Amino acid sequence: MKALIVIALLGVVTMMSEVFRFKKLLLPLVVVGLLAACGLAIGDWNTAIRYYSDMVYFDNYSLAFTSLIIVLTLLWLIISKGYFVSDSSRAEHATLILFTLCGGVIMTAYSDLSMFFVGLEILSISLYVLASSNKHDLKSNEAGMKYFLMGSFATGFLLFGMALIYGAAASFNLVKIAEYVQTTAAHGQTPMFVYTGVLLMMVGLMFKVSAAPFHFWAPDVYEGAPTLITAFMATVVKTAAFAAFYRLFSTCFGDISGFWAQTLAVISAVTMLTGNILAVSQTSLKRMLAYSSIAHAGYMLMAIVAMNKISGGAIFLYATAYSLGSLGAFACLHAISKYGDESIENLKGFAADNKIWAGLLGVIVLSLAGIPPVAGFFAKYYIFYGVFQSNFTWLVLVAILSSLIGVYYYFRIIITMVQPRSEKATVLPALTGAHKALLLISALLALGIGIYPAFLQGLLS
Amino acid sequence: MNSILQVIPLNYYVALAAILFSIGVMGVMFRRNAIIVFMCIELMLNAVNMLLTAFSTYHGDASGQVMVFFIMAVAAAEVAVGLAILVMIYNNIRTVDINELNKLKW
Amino acid sequence: MVLLSTPVDYLPIAMMFVVAIGFVLFVMFATHWMGPKHKSKVKLEAFECGIESKGNSRLPFSIKYFLIAILFVLFDVEVIFMYPWAVNFAEWSKHGLAAFGEMLVFLGLLVFGLIYIIRKGALKWE
Repeated sequence: MKALIVIALLGVVTMMSEVFRFKKLLLPLVVVGLLAACGLAIGDWNTAIRYYSDMVYFDNYSLAFTSLIIVLTLLWLIISKGYFVSDSSRAEHATLILFTLCGGVIMTAYSDLSMFFVGLEILSISLYVLASSNKHDLKSNEAGMKYFLMGSFATGFLLFGMALIYGAAASFNLVKIAEYVQTTAAHGQTPMFVYTGVLLMMVGLMFKVSAAPFHFWAPDVYEGAPTLITAFMATVVKTAAFAAFYRLFSTCFGDISGFWAQTLAVISAVTMLTGNILAVSQTSLKRMLAYSSIAHAGYMLMAIVAMNKISGGAIFLYATAYSLGSLGAFACLHAISKYGDESIENLKGFAADNKIWAGLLGVIVLSLAGIPPVAGFFAKYYIFYGVFQSNFTWLVLVAILSSLIGVYYYFRIIITMVQPRSEKATVLPALTGAHKALLLISALLALGIGIYPAFLQGLLS
Repeated sequence: MNSILQVIPLNYYVALAAILFSIGVMGVMFRRNAIIVFMCIELMLNAVNMLLTAFSTYHGDASGQVMVFFIMAVAAAEVAVGLAILVMIYNNIRTVDINELNKLKW
Repeated sequence: MVLLSTPVDYLPIAMMFVVAIGFVLFVMFATHWMGPKHKSKVKLEAFECGIESKGNSRLPFSIKYFLIAILFVLFDVEVIFMYPWAVNFAEWSKHGLAAFGEMLVFLGLLVFGLIYIIRKGALKWE
């Protein structure tokens, strides 16, 4: 809770920094504030307090995810300098990022459907603006518009689902809904409202996490938005969305999992196949990463399907591994796409120019692909193991198959990287210190988690 | 003591809300003018608001109505941002037809 | 909060409607009756001076109208949160000033937004 208050106040202060002319202090202030928030979140570990007549509930699950998204934002800030320096509206950008983070924290910690809605909207509305923040670029405008339309459309479904659940359970409180669902399910008389509500909320949430039949907006928005914002959306926002999804379903609807688990399993299978197959044929690195993030959403959905003792830890580990990998990959993309061309061919000759950094990028890509010694493999392992225990063997087989497809296009990045530069290719922009730092940190963390994955996984089990 | 609201069966409200919501969904999917799409999204949200109010009255529980307040406030903020994006697009391409937004394709 | 209500409970609202409409009608007729009247062709024109009006009136209007209208709507809508607060205030205020402080925090955040808007010059008309 203290972390949430600190982030919200920090947002207000940064908003004021322009009008009261202390812009120079902006970035130090944000960094110090976020570090403090992270410290406060970790300091609350094992306390599990319900605040404001059970509106938010900071248990270990939400504290872990809160710390994760704050750390990811801090890492993201390393490469985001360009986004905050050249522009006249950098104070606004910083403010919106902080408000997005604030919404994300509420989404990991809500204990009442109304708080879930408010958190989701704080996150989404800030992101609509950020996605279209490149005012004169038509692509960015279009991305913002598409994101806005799809986002509010999805919110409509989510709210209709919430209204139906409220109609059945007479409360928005997660605990009371869980009690209601449990008692009615025990007597075998779950009302139709609950079933319909769960389905509609699932549709809304799947729009938000870009799962397969509802993923069409994601590649467009990811491509059109400024690269740094895409990186933020693919990591911090996705993590928060999954934290909220898992929290809702594990708290409230575990007792009627027979109703939705099969549906979600099929959707998860379709999502990872679609994401991985479509990623293979992309020529733009940015779009490839967008499809790969759809595929990863499919893997994370598997943890919600499994819904057993280890899936909370598994989804946390997966979100960490995936976000670190994505941040590293986006740092590289941001470095090479300085001139507006995001084609994967730009990576040719990358390894010859900077051997160390190419090696680190290789580690990150291996982690995303899920090759053994790195974090991604263990994240996938725990997810698959949990699903296997919940008797969805076919889903594990599909997931392994689609991982193999994934390996194909991830290796294409590595192979392109070591090829010699073609004659007509433009000169590769050098990596700046910030990009190098982020690559180094995310690669080291990926390796570290790969060596000792049980620590993160065990936090929530 | 029955209020006017409670004389009408709950199912009627649910049906009306579902119909309004579906009209909104259809509008979002088939209309091409961005302003009308915004209005259809508002229609969806207002269908939800009506449903919440009806449930709230039937349960004798005020939290549904407070939720309606939240939805109304958030919808206003959302539409403000949406309209701002729309004005920005209009300044760049001089139309609000969303079929013109086709720079991003797979 | 009492949610059950009969049609009779709405009588004050109906009375308020009658008073409001009555006041508007009264003022309109009173100004007509009391003010001086000079009718001439020039006075009945849509615009008294300048070039004659022509063309469609639905021209694109200044973005300032939009900005101010949107800002008005945003701040206007926030007032609805005060309604449930005001209804319950009598009950809460028996247990100290916490409820008052919470509303002050809410309004304080809004005031920060307002300061931001003013300092950014969004409300400057020229």
